[in-house]
Amino acid sequence: MHRAVTGVLLLLFPLGAAAQGVLRGTVRDTHGTPIRGAVVGVPGTTLYTLTDPGGRYRLARVSAGEVRLRAAAIGYVPAATTVTLGLADSAVADFALKPSPLELTPLDVVSTKVPRFGDRPATSVAQVSERDIDRRAVNTVDEAIDKAAGVQMLNGQINIRGSTGYVQGLNSRVLLLVDGVPMNQGDRGGINWDLLPVDEIERVDILKGAGSSLYGSAALGGVVNLTTRDVPEGVHARVRVTGGMYSDPPHAVWRFRSGPGLQGGGDVAASYGTETVGGRITAGARHSDGYREQDDQDHWQVASKARWQASPRTRVDVSGAWAVHRYEVPLSWCNQGECDDRGQAFQPFKVDTRGRGAHTNSRKGYVAAQVRTVASERLAWQARASWLRTHFTDWRPDATDYAVANRFGAEVRAEAHPDSARTALIGAEGTFSDVTSDVFSGAATPDVVGTHSQSELAAYGESEQRIGTARLSAGARLDILAVDGGSPTAVASPRISGTVPLAGGTLRASVGRGFRAPTMAERFVHTFALGFEVIPNPGLRPETGWSIEIGHTSPVIAFARLDAALFWTEARQLIEPALVPPVPPDPAKIQLQNVARARIAGLDVTVLAAPIPDRLTATLGYTYLSTRRIAGTSDAPLAFRPRHLLTLGADYGMGALGIGADFRYASRPERIELEGFVDARRVPVKVLDLRAGWTRGPLAFRLLVANALDYIYNLVPETLAPVRTVTMTAVWSY
Amino acid sequence: MLLRAPRGALLAGLWAAVLGAACDAGLEPEPICARGLVGVCGTLHFRGTIPPGTDNVFVAAYATFPQTCNELIANRQPFIPGSVLYTDSVAPYSLSLLPGTYQWVLAVWKRVGTLTLTPADTALLRVAGYYRNAADTTQAGVVTVPSGGSAGGVDFVVDFDHLRLATDFVTCTAQ
Repeated sequence: MHRAVTGVLLLLFPLGAAAQGVLRGTVRDTHGTPIRGAVVGVPGTTLYTLTDPGGRYRLARVSAGEVRLRAAAIGYVPAATTVTLGLADSAVADFALKPSPLELTPLDVVSTKVPRFGDRPATSVAQVSERDIDRRAVNTVDEAIDKAAGVQMLNGQINIRGSTGYVQGLNSRVLLLVDGVPMNQGDRGGINWDLLPVDEIERVDILKGAGSSLYGSAALGGVVNLTTRDVPEGVHARVRVTGGMYSDPPHAVWRFRSGPGLQGGGDVAASYGTETVGGRITAGARHSDGYREQDDQDHWQVASKARWQASPRTRVDVSGAWAVHRYEVPLSWCNQGECDDRGQAFQPFKVDTRGRGAHTNSRKGYVAAQVRTVASERLAWQARASWLRTHFTDWRPDATDYAVANRFGAEVRAEAHPDSARTALIGAEGTFSDVTSDVFSGAATPDVVGTHSQSELAAYGESEQRIGTARLSAGARLDILAVDGGSPTAVASPRISGTVPLAGGTLRASVGRGFRAPTMAERFVHTFALGFEVIPNPGLRPETGWSIEIGHTSPVIAFARLDAALFWTEARQLIEPALVPPVPPDPAKIQLQNVARARIAGLDVTVLAAPIPDRLTATLGYTYLSTRRIAGTSDAPLAFRPRHLLTLGADYGMGALGIGADFRYASRPERIELEGFVDARRVPVKVLDLRAGWTRGPLAFRLLVANALDYIYNLVPETLAPVRTVTMTAVWSY
Repeated sequence: MLLRAPRGALLAGLWAAVLGAACDAGLEPEPICARGLVGVCGTLHFRGTIPPGTDNVFVAAYATFPQTCNELIANRQPFIPGSVLYTDSVAPYSLSLLPGTYQWVLAVWKRVGTLTLTPADTALLRVAGYYRNAADTTQAGVVTVPSGGSAGGVDFVVDFDHLRLATDFVTCTAQ
């Protein structure tokens, strides 16, 4: 027993460092330009790192001897080299990567929580790089990921392969992580896309399909991980200024103001770092007049990140952000008779006069700390703690609602590489959420303040084995949930997956179970909507679903790479609004209930092409969705799911100048919720974005014409989507 | 370079096809009244049981409230009315009228028989409903047809169970 304990302690805190050394160097392209964010590591070990803006890297605690080192970056051919490292010595290994637009994600930290260096993951992952974010000159994170294949944003709610639909912010079937830390709201389970300034984001990884075997609740439909910029060595600063204008309504009869609608804002970031410590702070603000009546928005934010290399093997990261968003709420557009309709059946740019004055104050922030220790080449462990706080107040002409929520989280996990063919991961996670609200109160009558809490404890593990050229992995997670200290509910989420080289590409397959715990908002909401009283349902049970995916990635022709995936999800106990029949003298009411089974199946195809490799790149993403909602005897498509989703992208570069375009098509959803109670007008989505950019030294200018065709459409009932918007962005980096 | 040109052309062709398919404007203005209509339009909400012997239902308007049987027949616009669909619970209607103010817009039920365009027609006709003043629903609502335009949202109820004689409204002898 004593020897076993000693062995574990030696694994966790090894004493000897004499047999180890340091590897350092740079990663550049073939023109000598530094590559930022390239991954450099020793395959089959815990040793990996990312390059800084100067393309520099440093790997400590590398075993002396012959070391195989690998470097990879999106858009470049990976390279490997062997270095001889002496005892307690350091060695230099520089890389020159050859550009290759068809190279995909070199690193997959999302789907497995283990850095999977250079191998394709066993599930579909879409990635939005820093370059994509810069080129698109967007202002918010959700705008940046809206063009990813198979992803659709519906009024701020993310749908990955049709997972969530539109539920007015009451939940999300997609989990948001910021640097691996869960950030879904404690009360509603939704996502605040404006939690972080877009300029803080270095990369977005989008895992498609159930990810609950490692991530637990909310990962039923997928996981989005935002990787924030690291703090480089030296003094750095960045200033980003944007300004733009919204188009007037395209028809005179829809005009609602005499002058143009404007928007603008700015962010300033400054950082300082040494080899040991570093910190950055970013602050910014923006204002928008909006593109429709009663659509003013003001946003302020501050974000910060610090790193500390406590020892050669231990790194500590602390990050946080605080954002204040005040926005007017165009609750629904004006239908005939609800405003000065000018003889029109509807006025999409105007609001129902009964909703005049509605606005929301939303404040949200988080603090997170993580520590990662590379105990040896074979073992690393990581621990984190986080606190997310959200506070909103909705002012409506007929009522005022508010909610203050906290989400506290903690997690420890260990990652082991017993040998170069095996990887194991074990971890435990705990989350405690509470809410104080007059709308999520669960009280017998509306507008009574109530407090509720929800606890989640989980343990998970996953192991991967390389067998020849194939990789197989299996894992499971057990979650135990309790509401208001009541009796616990247990949910198990297993998953198996594998990849095998086939037909010049990689075949992948996975089967896994996902779940989503009901949010406190769903359990305890008590309010009025559409003239009905919405009553609480504390007894809601978790939604569950099995997901199957089979995919293949391969170069189809010399200049194009194809990724195709078939997916199938069988979901049960879906939570949806149901009409509770009247019991005289009480009228009918609405209650969220576990009522529906659902089936979501489809095909996801992504083509990445470089017809002129050094100049022209293009992407195509197509998702076909077949959805069925099975509740009792009724059988209909799921609401708000388009059958066809197509994204096209193209970029052409000529030295410092670049031009590009994105086009997005989504077919008209066959069904919406509450049809008959709301204006059911809806059309397909056909949105074209055009952009141009010019970079010279530390300066970059971007011009974006979003919705260049000024296509007038709505994604959800009675809510107009953005019209043509011209935005100019200038960035200065030091 | 020779190889590159067809690839670029392929991409350009794909984009052209997609953008060609995208060339419509999405949501468009929807006038409450039919485009080009000068008159009133709205929705009729039908209640009750359609009486036996029903020939049709039509909408008519009066610039001033009729005081006599002759005015009831002679001042009706249009003079020769058309029919509206009355078999569904709701039906839209459009009525061409000259620009001006109308004090009474009503739906008229007609029994099977031939109109003579004389006061004798009142034997075949009943008032089935009329547009009401929102502030005082016991009174008829006034509608203004703008010059060259239309007045929309002139909605009212047609109640087949409460058809009323013209004499309830106008001083004349029903035929």
